[in-house]
Amino acid sequence: MKFLLYLLLALVVVPLQTTMLHYVSVFGVRPDLGLIAACLVGFLGGELDGLILGLILGCFQDMLSAGDLWINVVTKGGSGFLAGLAGRHMAHITPSVMTAGLAIISCLSSAVFLYSMNPAGLDEVWLGVRSTVLVQAGLDAAVGAGLYLLFRQRWSDDRMVTEGAL
Amino acid sequence: MAISRSTYGTRRLAIVLFACLLVALFLLPSQSQRLLQYVGGPLGQVLSLPLAAFSSVDHGITDMWNGYVALQSVHEENRQLHRDIEFLKGQNNQLRESMTAVQRYEALLSFKQQSPSQTLAAQVIGRDATNWYRGMILNKGESDGVRTEMGVVTPAGVVGRVVKTNSTSSVVLLVTDPNNAIAGVVQRTRDEGIVEGTSHGRARLKYIPLLSRVQAGDRVVTSGLTGAFPRGLAIGSLIQVEKSEGDLFQSAEIEPEVDLSKLDEVLIITAPYEDAEAAQKLLQAIHGDRKKP
Repeated sequence: MKFLLYLLLALVVVPLQTTMLHYVSVFGVRPDLGLIAACLVGFLGGELDGLILGLILGCFQDMLSAGDLWINVVTKGGSGFLAGLAGRHMAHITPSVMTAGLAIISCLSSAVFLYSMNPAGLDEVWLGVRSTVLVQAGLDAAVGAGLYLLFRQRWSDDRMVTEGAL
Repeated sequence: MAISRSTYGTRRLAIVLFACLLVALFLLPSQSQRLLQYVGGPLGQVLSLPLAAFSSVDHGITDMWNGYVALQSVHEENRQLHRDIEFLKGQNNQLRESMTAVQRYEALLSFKQQSPSQTLAAQVIGRDATNWYRGMILNKGESDGVRTEMGVVTPAGVVGRVVKTNSTSSVVLLVTDPNNAIAGVVQRTRDEGIVEGTSHGRARLKYIPLLSRVQAGDRVVTSGLTGAFPRGLAIGSLIQVEKSEGDLFQSAEIEPEVDLSKLDEVLIITAPYEDAEAAQKLLQAIHGDRKKP
């Protein structure tokens, strides 16, 4: 059931990412909704959920990207898993923790992309960091924190119910 | 009794006066008319005051009725008219959009008819799913005959090449992406080189011979040496030539001919050669061989 839900989520997120998101781009950089979704689910649902959703999202994103077929699967799956691990070791997830966590994971994910582009020298690496990595990290963190604030009540209720059941 | 007699006298007097008036009216009509007009002037003035007052009240009531009570329907009518205006505005907008689309399609069709290559029209339905590649998604895929490495163009010039396909869509790597490489030639000097994208969203012509006399403003076109594009399609114009000491080649920055951020429709070159059918068969054979284990 959860798998189907994640599949449906991916079927909404990825087309949204490729078609509508350029309206909210900053300096030509768009927030990565796939990464945000995988991290949020990882933070709140655990590393397995984050990993599964990340893999599904990455697979779909790779189909609609000019890059190699592995790169989104690895980065999104890894991001979901990392977020799950981080979420497991936190007693309280606050919006500021979520923002910082998302920014760090976004930077790590972008670093893999940057490495895969085979930059010619330090100048190109710095250009990539300045023009894409940092901007995307900021956008991912902002959008992720916004979504977390929007649905915080519902998620915390779910957590309480889950913890109560356990 | 005295009062009764007096009243009787007055009545008789009134009757006599009325009879006299009637006789005068019949016997002297013009003179009696003049007399009546003379008497009626002041009477009319006296009457005009209440008449104006009543008239003003009447107008007030009518205005109030028309301005407030009867406006219920006008308000509804106004809303309906507003809705009509909005609808017509929307329709007008759609018609303008259709008109520009028709103009674009005409340009594409004209290019398609003039071009020696076999092409397939496709719509841009999305952008690359990540921020790391300059790519776009087209609504034509393998089921329409699209294969990887096919060139993508508009009437203005080269757009990029297909790098991924699935049954219904394909991904195009734009000419401005650093991972793209297209064989180009400077139209004026006929010097050949490789056009690659840059990190700044432009393109660069690399490997220009050192002795070449290329200069800013020269146009770069496809050389036709690689399979994706026929010879002579516009890529862009040189904006800056760089020649470093000790380098074996020159390089030059190119401003792409096509505005890649505003693309709606493109043409996929399914066969760039004049003998398109043979080329298609060749491509199919190549892909057939690749699929075999």
